[in-house]
Amino acid sequence: MPGFFHNVCAVARRETRRLIHQPMYLVLMVILPVVSFSFFAILFGQGAIRNVPLAVLDQDNTSLSRKVVQMIDETPTAMISYGIQDMAEGERLMREGKVVAIVLIPPFFEKSILSNSQTHLENYVSGTNITVNGLLSKDIQTAVTTFSAGIQLQLLMKQGLTEAQAMAQLMPVRFDKHVLFNPHINYGYYLAPSFMPMMLMIFVVMVTIFSLGTELKNATSRDWIDTGGGSVWAALVGKLAPITAVMFLISLVMLIINFKVVGTPLNGSLAVILVGTLLFILSYQAISVLIVSLLANLRLSLSIGGGYSVLAFTFSGLTFPIMAMWEPMQWVSRIFPFTYYTDIFIDQMLRGTPWVYSLPDLGWMSLFIVLPLLCLGRLKRVATEEKFWGRL
Amino acid sequence: MRSYWQQTGAVIRNEFHTVFTDKGVVLILVFALLIYATAYSLAYGSQVLRNVPIGVVDESRTPTSRALIDAFNAGPNTYVAYTPTSMEEARELFHARKIYGVVYIPADYERCLYGGQQANVAIYCDASYFLMYRQVFQEVVTSIGQTGAMVEFQRLVAKGANIPQAQATTQPVIYQSQNLFNPYLGYGTFVMPAIIMVIIQQTMLIGIGMIGGTWREFGLYHKLCPAGRRRMSTLPIVVGRALVYALIYAVTCALVLGLLYRLFHFPMNGNPWTVGIFMVAYVSSCIAMGIAVSTLFRYRENSLLLMLWTSIPVLMVSGVSFPREGIPEWLYNLGQLLPSSHGVDGFIRIQTMGASMSEVFPEIKWLIILTIVYGGLACIGIHQVIRRELRQRQEARIAEKNRTE
Repeated sequence: MPGFFHNVCAVARRETRRLIHQPMYLVLMVILPVVSFSFFAILFGQGAIRNVPLAVLDQDNTSLSRKVVQMIDETPTAMISYGIQDMAEGERLMREGKVVAIVLIPPFFEKSILSNSQTHLENYVSGTNITVNGLLSKDIQTAVTTFSAGIQLQLLMKQGLTEAQAMAQLMPVRFDKHVLFNPHINYGYYLAPSFMPMMLMIFVVMVTIFSLGTELKNATSRDWIDTGGGSVWAALVGKLAPITAVMFLISLVMLIINFKVVGTPLNGSLAVILVGTLLFILSYQAISVLIVSLLANLRLSLSIGGGYSVLAFTFSGLTFPIMAMWEPMQWVSRIFPFTYYTDIFIDQMLRGTPWVYSLPDLGWMSLFIVLPLLCLGRLKRVATEEKFWGRL
Repeated sequence: MRSYWQQTGAVIRNEFHTVFTDKGVVLILVFALLIYATAYSLAYGSQVLRNVPIGVVDESRTPTSRALIDAFNAGPNTYVAYTPTSMEEARELFHARKIYGVVYIPADYERCLYGGQQANVAIYCDASYFLMYRQVFQEVVTSIGQTGAMVEFQRLVAKGANIPQAQATTQPVIYQSQNLFNPYLGYGTFVMPAIIMVIIQQTMLIGIGMIGGTWREFGLYHKLCPAGRRRMSTLPIVVGRALVYALIYAVTCALVLGLLYRLFHFPMNGNPWTVGIFMVAYVSSCIAMGIAVSTLFRYRENSLLLMLWTSIPVLMVSGVSFPREGIPEWLYNLGQLLPSSHGVDGFIRIQTMGASMSEVFPEIKWLIILTIVYGGLACIGIHQVIRRELRQRQEARIAEKNRTE
């Protein structure tokens, strides 16, 4: 056992020298990760989505119709940018990408309201961007409901009810809304902490495959195994440990950017997040080892590893929930450690879930670390037999 | 002049050979677009989120409160999976990810409603997943609103109001909201056009970059240039290579936009000619950018190592997944240097919204400008690489000569 440890150290020293001498490592492990984290911090820095342009076709043009238009304009998301004369004009503006919605106020809008008969208000929202659509529809609906409630209140008070009575009458069931865990409904709070680990993962995969693959490409892999005293175990541990260490440090930078710059809350356990992050890095390293061992080709491994890592986001269920996917796709989502990692950070950052609920996710991620054990024999063969070397 | 044609021909033959004898390049330039487009379409295939499980803590336990629970069940977006007896129990279910929202109906619910008072209901919804939040909130609020309107209407009628009057008082302004182009707000319909456009650009950047990196690693660039270089001899290289990539993407894009779009029922509202012309402009600008960037890579694997991660930032900056109103202005403007930003925007408007050529003219104009700019950079880049290679060979030859002498 001391011999094993000695061998690991020897390989780790060799690897550290390689990391220092090849500038690509610096780029992949430090510069690009930090650049990408900063990108997302800046992208989501603004947080809220404001002033989405829309057009109004006011066929009534009275003080009440102007009042409702003004109320829509005053909502956070909407901004009235165009007053139009007919729907054709509105549709053109929409196809030109200048407005996202058209609000139509019919003629006799004010007259109907004053004579206590029902009128209507139409809103045509483009569904091409469902994020904007959701925010805009909600805000416009709120504005119109508020407007409508004001009218009801006046009508009822005219009938002799007190304000409290009138309120109880027009809204018999009132609701208190409690938005849990992300009370400001900040988009950045959940997108930033999910995109940053995605970037971290891509770089972990790239750098791990690169460090193993270049040994094969440049035919130095026998030297690598020899440094490990012929033990593929020692060689692998010694090789990956320095990379794990650096990537873990970078992940701390990521977490600091997340909590301090983006301002994501930390409602749960930091310890679980840290353990999860370490397992996350290790699991993707393990998968990278598997890929290189099977393919024995630097570039092909990078293509496959890259393809695999980029797919993870979609299948993590962060934007489109796994629950909504077709059954076979729900199974596919299980093959990405990222899926479990996102569960952990949603639970521990936003929801403040007790740590026991994160144990299954940690367990699943650990399972991915066992993978390279299955291919160590193959890795040794690939690393020591010349026919696998120098492939492009 | 003829020699330019010959050179272009030679470049085309050479490029075809390079692409199709290199498994890695074929994988990225030909298959990646098809594989990714299919994988993402499958993931988003079901399009909408329905039947989100919620919990209702019903302290009232009356027919009236059960009617409200039925209303939550009736809508397509939620169903009441659990009726926990306490908020504590509801919290546990929530942490175990069994439910994604909780409604609390207080004990005095029915009494308040019958007594002409206001009844209070508390809604707890989880905003850690946006789509869940939206579906739950929308369904619950609509159900409560409808229940309330019904109660109000009945009260008014009981007081002797006639039905139209009662209707007008209950709801003076009917609000009607229509979602255009994507009526059920399908997620795939929303995000796939953008993803496909971005994949086209990114596979181009990585694939062409891989060819460029290989050539530089092995010093093969100068072979594209006939001996006795003349002015403008890089132009046929760029044009010849571009034609080969254009041909490949003509086939793959046709498959994706023709076959895949039909299979997954994505909207195809664009005039085929408009789509075609727009795609030509888009693909050309991507190719020009790809060739320009490819001259920067010194090794075969570099394009993958350095470009893969940009895919998500590129998608973000196009203003689709994350709306452009939320992106800092300068970052958005910087993104306009990428063909994908114009490509995504224009393509969605043509294919999803049915915009005409004149309505997307600004995007086409930008794509042409980008093609010219990146095309120029590509010529300069290749020129530099060839010059460097020739100089190195020259030096090597001189060194060789010195040694033999």
